[in-house]
Amino acid sequence: MQYVIIGSSAAGISAVSAIRELDPKNSIIMISKDKQIYSRCQLPEIITGERTLKESCFIPANFFEKYRVKWIDDTGVTHINTDAHVVETNNGQKITFDRLLIATGASSFFPPIDNLQKGRQICGLRNIDDALQIVDYAHDMKKAVIIGAGLVGVEAALALNDLGLKVTLVENASHILPLQLDQTAAGNYERLLNEHQINIYTNEIVTKIHLDEKQNVTHVELKSGVILPADLIIVATGITPNIQFLDHVPIKINRGIIVNEKQETSIPNIYAAGDVCASTESFTAKITPTPIWPLAIEQGRIAGTNMAGGNKQRTINFAYKNSMNLFGLSTISYGFTEAPNENYTTHIQFERGSYKKLIIKDGILFGAIFQGDISGAGIYGKLIAEKISINSLPPERLFSISYANFFNQQENGLYRY
Amino acid sequence: MQRIFINKSLCAGCKNCEAACMAEHTTHRSLWLVNLSDPSNKPNNRVALDNSGQPTPIFCQHCDDPACVTACMAGALTKNPETGVVEHNRDKCAGCWMCIMSCPYGMMHTSGVYEDTAAKCDFCAERGTPRCVSSCPTGAITLRTI
Repeated sequence: MQYVIIGSSAAGISAVSAIRELDPKNSIIMISKDKQIYSRCQLPEIITGERTLKESCFIPANFFEKYRVKWIDDTGVTHINTDAHVVETNNGQKITFDRLLIATGASSFFPPIDNLQKGRQICGLRNIDDALQIVDYAHDMKKAVIIGAGLVGVEAALALNDLGLKVTLVENASHILPLQLDQTAAGNYERLLNEHQINIYTNEIVTKIHLDEKQNVTHVELKSGVILPADLIIVATGITPNIQFLDHVPIKINRGIIVNEKQETSIPNIYAAGDVCASTESFTAKITPTPIWPLAIEQGRIAGTNMAGGNKQRTINFAYKNSMNLFGLSTISYGFTEAPNENYTTHIQFERGSYKKLIIKDGILFGAIFQGDISGAGIYGKLIAEKISINSLPPERLFSISYANFFNQQENGLYRY
Repeated sequence: MQRIFINKSLCAGCKNCEAACMAEHTTHRSLWLVNLSDPSNKPNNRVALDNSGQPTPIFCQHCDDPACVTACMAGALTKNPETGVVEHNRDKCAGCWMCIMSCPYGMMHTSGVYEDTAAKCDFCAERGTPRCVSSCPTGAITLRTI
């Protein structure tokens, strides 16, 4: 029996420990383009120099020895022969597998903007190579434009601002962080960004990148006609799964490799987990990519368990949760940021500098935003993820729900709802 | 491993457990010197009211399958396989708050208004018995080996 894992980030790493819990013996081979193990959530800190690449490693130094993994780094996979059970690599290796996990993650999505593929100083922010490239450019550059003001875009803006660049964010929604926040919570961050001399254009679209004769970036043109001088562009408009090597593999794909509750793909003995896969997300009940760290770890663990002969199924696969800590202002949000229609009620509290918002329908929470004071937010996340009724709770304590309201300690000391 | 058990009907809501936790996590460790209104020193436990108004002490259970550890993208949170304690390494913590977002019992928190790391119950690593347990005057909080 031989396990092969493609990818060495959250999902791949967590699969290793899950396999080893059940199978201490058989060989595990990990193949990755990455040469280091690092947390891609910490790329902004690597750009600013707050953390080194080594410090962003999220596993113990002895991980590969402890779990006895043969790691083939700096290597990409070019094809999977599903009949012969062989993985082919870009340096000519052919590696056989009995169970395969595809955990290749995702890359920055570059939208179809004129010259975006051509210009030189244009980066995504997804991999360590992106971060190092940005650091390299940032030395000589003075003006950066960031396309997309989601979490990656805003964090990139902060990092480049920190390095002394003049930064402009361009977002096509009416406020920044549109998937994570409502207008009020986003507005508080917009004010902080402006105070730090970061410009923001909302309701705007980048239509063209202007280049000089050497393909160097010079300007960014917006739909309204505004032309912004720029010598560095960061593209933060979402991600696309790393599935190019599956072009000639008969595996079911739709915005990601389709997996069932056991992280199995459409091909027996081949699993997928993390940002590369599409699974049934529990808040929307739709099959979508679920590109957040906790779910990558969870899915990797489920895949690993099942690969090693266990039987584990996903239960809650809740991707509508966000946390951020920008300029010292913290926010956690879950589910809807706005009530979708009049059947939902919205409750808002401003207290001691904090902003809290809850969206409720028929005694079930469907959305929550906590900005400022975020303590105890996780309770609301649980209630939203599992649609637990709050009907029996005293209504005046809507904003101070604690586990005491559900207290139920089992014989082994563990809590349950 | 050991786990804290709660008999909420015995809880008088005195918050001795909260004060003990705050004192334990200062350099002097003194209940007499601890500033109970210091926003940068929050207790890792809490006493909250249940639906009928009964005070209920709540502690980190050092879960078997801890959601905070799963969520930690920095490798700062780990479950110690020997002691069962879910440990938090502040040096590794990136202050992203994904643990706070993920703990279904609300037991992860920010270490203080001016600090950018998370904090949690450390089971009073340097004491035999967590100080909240030894400070409870009513027996509402006890320690059991499981």
